[in-house]
Amino acid sequence: MKEVRTVKLGIIGLGYIGQIHLRNCLKIPNAEVLAVADVSTKALKKAKKDGVKKTFNSYSELLKDSEVEAVIIGLPTHLHLQCSREAAEAGKDIFLEKPMGRNVEEAKEIILAVQRNSVKLMMGYPMRFNEKFGVVKEKIEKGLIGDVESAHATYISTGPFFHRAEGYAPVPVPDWWFNKELTGGGVLVDMGSHIINLMRWYFGEITDIKGLFGHRFNMDFEDSAMCLAKFDSGTVALINVGWFSQGYTCRLDFFGSVKSESAQHSPQNKLVAGIQMLTTGKMQFYQGHFDELRYFLNCIINDLPPSSSGQDGLKDLEAISLAYKNQISLQ
Amino acid sequence: MSIVSLAKIEKSNFKKAIEDSLNLLGYSFDRKIREVVIKPNMCYYWDYSTGQTTDPKFVAALIDILREKTSVSNIALVESDASAMKCKYAFKFLGYEKLFKDSGVRLVNLSEEKSEDVTVTCDGESYDFQVPQIIKNADLRINLPKIKYAMKGIELTCALKNIYGCNPYPLKFKYHPQLGNVIVSLNKVMKFDLCIIDSNIVSGIQPCKLGLVMASKDPVAIDVASAKIAGLNPRKIKYLKLANREGLGSLDFIPKGESLNQFRAVYPKKNLKKKLMSQAYTWVVRLKLAKRLGIG
Repeated sequence: MKEVRTVKLGIIGLGYIGQIHLRNCLKIPNAEVLAVADVSTKALKKAKKDGVKKTFNSYSELLKDSEVEAVIIGLPTHLHLQCSREAAEAGKDIFLEKPMGRNVEEAKEIILAVQRNSVKLMMGYPMRFNEKFGVVKEKIEKGLIGDVESAHATYISTGPFFHRAEGYAPVPVPDWWFNKELTGGGVLVDMGSHIINLMRWYFGEITDIKGLFGHRFNMDFEDSAMCLAKFDSGTVALINVGWFSQGYTCRLDFFGSVKSESAQHSPQNKLVAGIQMLTTGKMQFYQGHFDELRYFLNCIINDLPPSSSGQDGLKDLEAISLAYKNQISLQ
Repeated sequence: MSIVSLAKIEKSNFKKAIEDSLNLLGYSFDRKIREVVIKPNMCYYWDYSTGQTTDPKFVAALIDILREKTSVSNIALVESDASAMKCKYAFKFLGYEKLFKDSGVRLVNLSEEKSEDVTVTCDGESYDFQVPQIIKNADLRINLPKIKYAMKGIELTCALKNIYGCNPYPLKFKYHPQLGNVIVSLNKVMKFDLCIIDSNIVSGIQPCKLGLVMASKDPVAIDVASAKIAGLNPRKIKYLKLANREGLGSLDFIPKGESLNQFRAVYPKKNLKKKLMSQAYTWVVRLKLAKRLGIG
């Protein structure tokens, strides 16, 4: 029987997304989380309890560890460039959370660093690994929907203000979320990057995009955005993202010349999710996050170029930047 | 016995409904008051549409009345930092900063204000708190709570609980093991003169439009009335009984104005499913299952 090679991983950042990645990695047979880095002592202690051998309070220290082959970076956006550059220079393959950086320039610098050091870079876009969204892609490619004239893509939730579920106390939001200098933008950068990436996967490159932005919470950036984007394929998509709702909606509606098709990613029934966690250690809701990491490890083991690549992350930020530039307003 | 007034909000006219509720109460503002402190209910960054927080437009309507009927020179809207909420963001995100820009109304983070150390006895125990000077020195203190369900042991959050937010200490979760006593103690050291409840939208088990304003000078009586509207038995809420024993108000009240029952019928009350979910959550905590369920 062929022995499965194990990839020794370092996880940088143990916030919300870092915890999900850690939990998933601990369940993937060919992943070994050798090290984690975070500024929170509590998070490091918890990781140690979960079986992680090495803990660091500085990612630079983790990157010096020659045993670590690849890193998963789940840091606040303003740290993506610096950390990715250091990781590339240390020869580590990189899985980087979206958005790639605060702006197009940062994304370009990350790509240069990765190319200079011949390491792999995969962007974290779990929606491309969502089973239902994959089925729709297959149908489009097989011509079952016809020419998709228009598409509505909606992704609306509480954003950083998430209230996990009834019965739980509110969770503090780290200050960097509310600082435009540190995030690069609002909901279009945070959630819009997911949807723009997904739409590009379906319909090719964006040829034009315009954005209408909302400010319900009076922040220094938008908390809702409706963008009209035209793609290479001729499809026009309405991208509707928002941080303003206690409800969670992640839904695609495609209107083709043959028929219409819809797909939805929904939170599970709490009881079912609880039973799944107890029995399998993971929840269906986060299956995309699990599968993207398995794919990343596969790319490392088999020396394959990952998708979504750094170029994808860059193109998503270029589209976002253009939408901010092409702002429209309604009276 | 204390009076609790109930007035309907017609066509979103908050000002008229507040005036109606005060008239029913027989309350009139002292023309000479200069310094007023208003404590709206803020909870995390959820806006008024969730029923969790006082509508800034409701606060603005009250301020209009105050300016018409008194010679008030300083109005402060007060709140303090909490474990998961920072005042500077709450004032901004919930619309207070925008609405009261250039209005002369001060938005005050009590966690950054001068406070005095105070020791208070409640239920035979001694508690130490800090009382912000701005509250102590005000001529008039107005409490603008919301009617909400709360964690097990407390059940209801309304007028008495809203004063918990006047405690400048930010990491308030440390008080949770003895929350009822702490709420009563804080009300003993920070007595508010008037409670007006914005029940235009209430949270319940899901947000719902109730279109009600309630007013009373007695925080215990208005909480008892609120508990009834929310379908709770006030006699089973321990801290209300404690507040009564500690002399903060009456467990009985005389309703004036609209019938309480019509609002009780509409309030989105807890059903069996929600009660079971709440029980299940208690067991998740007790059995330390949160981590294994992926919610820890």
